[in-house]
Amino acid sequence: MHSAAELAWLIPLFPLLGAVVVGLGLISFNRRINQVRKPVAISLVSCIGISAIFSYAVLWEQLRGVPPVEHLFVWASAGNFTIPMGYVVDPLGAVMLALVTTIALLVMIYSHGYMAHDKGYVRFFTYLALFSSSMLGLIVSPNLLEIYVFWELVGMCSYLLVGFWYDRDGAAHAAQKAFVVNRVGDFGLLLGILGLFWATGSFDFNGIALGLSEAVDIGAVPGWAALTLCLLVFMGPMAKSAQFPLHVWLPDAMEGPTPISALIHAATMVAAGVFLVARLEPLYSHFPVVGLVIAVVGTITCFLGASIALTQMDLKKGLAYSTVSQLGYMMLAMGCGAPVAGMFHLVTHAFFKAMMFLGSGSVIHAMEAVVGHEPILAQDMRLMGGLRKKMPITAITFFVGCIAISGVPPLAGFWSKDEILGQAFNTYPILWLVGLLTAGLTAFYMFRLYFLTFEGSFRGNDENLQKQLLADAGKEIEDEEHHSAGTLHESPWSMTSPLIVLAVPSVLIGLLGVPWNSKFSFLLNPVEAIEAAEKFHFGEFLTLAGASVAISFTGIIIAVMAYGLNRIDLKKLFAERFPSINSFLSNKWYLDDINEKIFVKGSRRLAREVLEVDAKVVDGVVNLTGLLTLGSGEGLKYFETGRAQFYALVVFAGVIALVALFGVLGPT
Amino acid sequence: MLEFALGSQLDLIGSLGFNQPSTSFPWLSCSILFPIVGALIVPFFPDQGEGKQVRWFALGIALVTFLITVGAYLTGYDPAQEGLQLSERVNWLPDLGLVWAVGADGLSMPLILLTSFITALAVLAAWPVSFKPKLFFFLILAMDGGQIAVFAVQDMLLFFLAWELELLPVYLLLAIWGGKKRQYAATKFIIYTAGSSLFILLAALAMGFVGGGAPNFEFSNLAEKGFGTGFQLACYAGLLIAFGVKLPIVPLHTWLPDAHGEATAPVHMLLAGILLKMGGYALLRFNAQLLPEAHAQFAPLLIVLGVVNIIYAALTSFAQRNLKRKIAYSSISHMGFVLIGIGSFSSLGTSGAMLQMVSHGLIGASLFFLVGATYDRTRTLQLDEMGGVGQKMRIMFALWTVCALASLALPGMSGFVSELMVFAGFVTDEAYTLPFRIVMASLAAIGVILTPIYLLSMLREIFFGKENTKLVSNSNLVDAEPREIYIIGCLLVPIIGIGLYPRLMTDTYSASIDALVGRDIAALERLNKKSSSSEISQLKFLPAVISAPIL
Repeated sequence: MHSAAELAWLIPLFPLLGAVVVGLGLISFNRRINQVRKPVAISLVSCIGISAIFSYAVLWEQLRGVPPVEHLFVWASAGNFTIPMGYVVDPLGAVMLALVTTIALLVMIYSHGYMAHDKGYVRFFTYLALFSSSMLGLIVSPNLLEIYVFWELVGMCSYLLVGFWYDRDGAAHAAQKAFVVNRVGDFGLLLGILGLFWATGSFDFNGIALGLSEAVDIGAVPGWAALTLCLLVFMGPMAKSAQFPLHVWLPDAMEGPTPISALIHAATMVAAGVFLVARLEPLYSHFPVVGLVIAVVGTITCFLGASIALTQMDLKKGLAYSTVSQLGYMMLAMGCGAPVAGMFHLVTHAFFKAMMFLGSGSVIHAMEAVVGHEPILAQDMRLMGGLRKKMPITAITFFVGCIAISGVPPLAGFWSKDEILGQAFNTYPILWLVGLLTAGLTAFYMFRLYFLTFEGSFRGNDENLQKQLLADAGKEIEDEEHHSAGTLHESPWSMTSPLIVLAVPSVLIGLLGVPWNSKFSFLLNPVEAIEAAEKFHFGEFLTLAGASVAISFTGIIIAVMAYGLNRIDLKKLFAERFPSINSFLSNKWYLDDINEKIFVKGSRRLAREVLEVDAKVVDGVVNLTGLLTLGSGEGLKYFETGRAQFYALVVFAGVIALVALFGVLGPT
Repeated sequence: MLEFALGSQLDLIGSLGFNQPSTSFPWLSCSILFPIVGALIVPFFPDQGEGKQVRWFALGIALVTFLITVGAYLTGYDPAQEGLQLSERVNWLPDLGLVWAVGADGLSMPLILLTSFITALAVLAAWPVSFKPKLFFFLILAMDGGQIAVFAVQDMLLFFLAWELELLPVYLLLAIWGGKKRQYAATKFIIYTAGSSLFILLAALAMGFVGGGAPNFEFSNLAEKGFGTGFQLACYAGLLIAFGVKLPIVPLHTWLPDAHGEATAPVHMLLAGILLKMGGYALLRFNAQLLPEAHAQFAPLLIVLGVVNIIYAALTSFAQRNLKRKIAYSSISHMGFVLIGIGSFSSLGTSGAMLQMVSHGLIGASLFFLVGATYDRTRTLQLDEMGGVGQKMRIMFALWTVCALASLALPGMSGFVSELMVFAGFVTDEAYTLPFRIVMASLAAIGVILTPIYLLSMLREIFFGKENTKLVSNSNLVDAEPREIYIIGCLLVPIIGIGLYPRLMTDTYSASIDALVGRDIAALERLNKKSSSSEISQLKFLPAVISAPIL
């Protein structure tokens, strides 16, 4: 009998098969396939379902202590080089497999309700299956190169899904931005992979780690080069996991349908960077400097995300910046040499953040009935309020998510975040302090979101406010498209049931990782887990946990006072006193503007100038040669009249002048 | 648990075997002559003037030619051998030393298959041609034979003849069926290519006559001659110019945007799919194989030029507002990887260069076909006049997206594998100093960022966003028809097949590439012993002007 791990290669294959079959069907028999949308969706969901069953079997085996399985084959070869591919199943991969299939399954069920009236219903499910397949492939990859392959494929799926509503300009720009920014990270990742291959002759995680430390020891590779390679590889995770300064794509990516934001841009794909850093732990553990860089980048990201989330008025963007911030926590853990803590936060965060994103989708779905299908209106919290009475399930699950992420014990976020902060305290105390402060901010902005959305009174019917919001966004007000006939209502069961299912792990899963008996770290790293359990001090734990709980409650109380009870006016108290800080935050630290001005416009100008040179200088020389021969021939022929010669001379002089002009100005 | 299915074969230096005088059936001569004979019948084929009958005839000829080449590959070709196979030899003009010698090794076989494959699809793509259809199909079929001849002949004079003969159909196809500036483009094309091919003739004559004795231009004969280094350098430089125009290498590229910008879709597919590959093939065949000592000296220049190609053309492509010219520049950019691979002194890199040629042949052809198909509907190529087309043409949008992703080297498709092999081959190559490799690899990798910028911007401007009302009211935006889906489907099968399992293609030529690289490395080592320097330091040999390109 085969063990489940031997069949792990089937896990990414099922959704892929489903996606390919439906995709080909969409191209060949578009109308017919769109008519049978429900059976198609059910078959794609069951593809993921089968993968989920396999994943749980694999996880079950790993929990019982079955050794990891690895299979390779030669994918490409030339001369004496071979490039192997294959799959690997180990505890880390098993956890991720179970996580990804679970969330993908729930998101697909949710999408059935959310996308019910969309023209692209079948296409959406196809993309979802394709994404799941790539993501699962990434998890079972045994070497860096194969990771890179799937890394790009999940990026492509993200591109397709962010640009899903391709008639919206915003979506088109966001999709392209996401892909290009990720390519900037991949540029580093690719160079790093190639460099490591040069230095060690291997793509394999352990092979690279051993090879590089050996090569540095015997002096075959200089220390600075090894360090550079490690940092280059880290550029990939920086882009994928939205770390400063490559985080700029993630908030824009919220232009995609909300189920995508939950699956790709909160729970799974953005976590791939963290996962890769965890995979590279054997390599990074040799270079403490790299760890420090990762920790600092993580901390900056963590603080940046939380600070921008404070002022966001768009519900989804607020959640997006929260994701950026939480990913920063995970990276901080990785940098502190505590990948288990980082992975634990990845898992807990995946559940509660996916739940909150799906909850926000449910809210938007309801809002669209009132304000129409205009994201600027449907997602703006200034138009929401009082939704708890109309949609209790959404409100309650969202509230659970808020306390989970704020770090209130005993919910999931408390245990994982506290684990990270504890590790940071022992490694880099300054970073711990920033992390602690951010925990307070997190609690504040989360409850701000909750109160603005679900409590108070409903503001959605205020037409003047709607007009003003549209005007602020630079959109034209189209009166005829304005429908306010609908009323608020709770979403259908297909959307609420995933929320309820996700609420369970959001509350309970943290208990698997209690620091004195962490089942989670026992699975991933048994040696370390036993050590940690032995060294565990209740006194130390209580002090640190007490500090973070205290700061969380401070944040919550301020939010309750300001938005729940309206006792304090933050606008008067803070925003008007420090307008520069306020505008700094609401303009997202001006990073998007800098990016637009320097990189986007700069590259456009450079390209235009190169083209100018190409057309006028390089091609100019060619045409000049042509003219010269023409001129001499024609000139001789019409020597008597002199007219042709004169023309040729004029043209000739003109071209010379142009060439000289460009020579002087230079191709700058 | 690694299974080594392919052993290393590096001890094959200097064994350009020519030991099998003839096979039972003259496969290659057939594949060259059959389309030409077919082309000669075309004028006499009964047709009512709209091309509705003659196109079926042309398609049949092209398909049979494709089957002949496949038959040659399956029955007469053994991928494990590195030497010449399927060889045929007939003394043609013994006084001139001209021999009808054809054969195929790993360098030619994939490109012969590519040629007959793309041509068959181009005939299908030419279905709507109604202006002088007989002449059109005559030229396409004649070109088919001529191009197979370029890749199959084993005699340098014959090669020159085939190279020149193939220019004529292209010139006419451009000048008669092209766009508004077709005369200018065609003239530029013919002057560029014919002018530069003078160097091929000179080099061929010099190589054939040098060393005395009866002139003989067969490759196997030339390879055994062992030219002096100075002679090799002179020949190399001349040939580099000739093939650099074809590939093209910046700054010899300016014929290409004009020619591609004016050509119709089927001609376009042939230009991008096959003609550019003649340059890369010839660089491998002559410069790298016959002139190894000179190659050892010139290789750093190839790398530098390759990097310039990648970045320069990617930037110009980004700035282009004309769709056809945009894709044309992207072709130039992709050819940069071929140059780097050829200059890399590693089996992996050179293998990657070969794969990049095949891969770009497929991807380039598919993109250019789509450009043509889109133009048929929008009647404009200016990106500013498009926008929001995706809502009416959804399948077209899907096909465009897949092909653009293939072109930006998305893993799972052939472009990724070839670029990866070139990169990996180049960085692990001990023939170059570490700083040189770091700088060049980093610059080439910038292409990884630039390519998606221009390709995705292009997709966004054509398909995304609100519908351009002016365009929609003035044109008939029907979605892709089955014939178009079929053509793209045929091209995507090998693109994805190679991307998923590259050894499908690389195994057909790896033996030849290993032998070729072995010869080049041996030449490099001989050179290094002479000059007693351990690393390549030939950059100073090159004029500073050439090696300081516009970046």
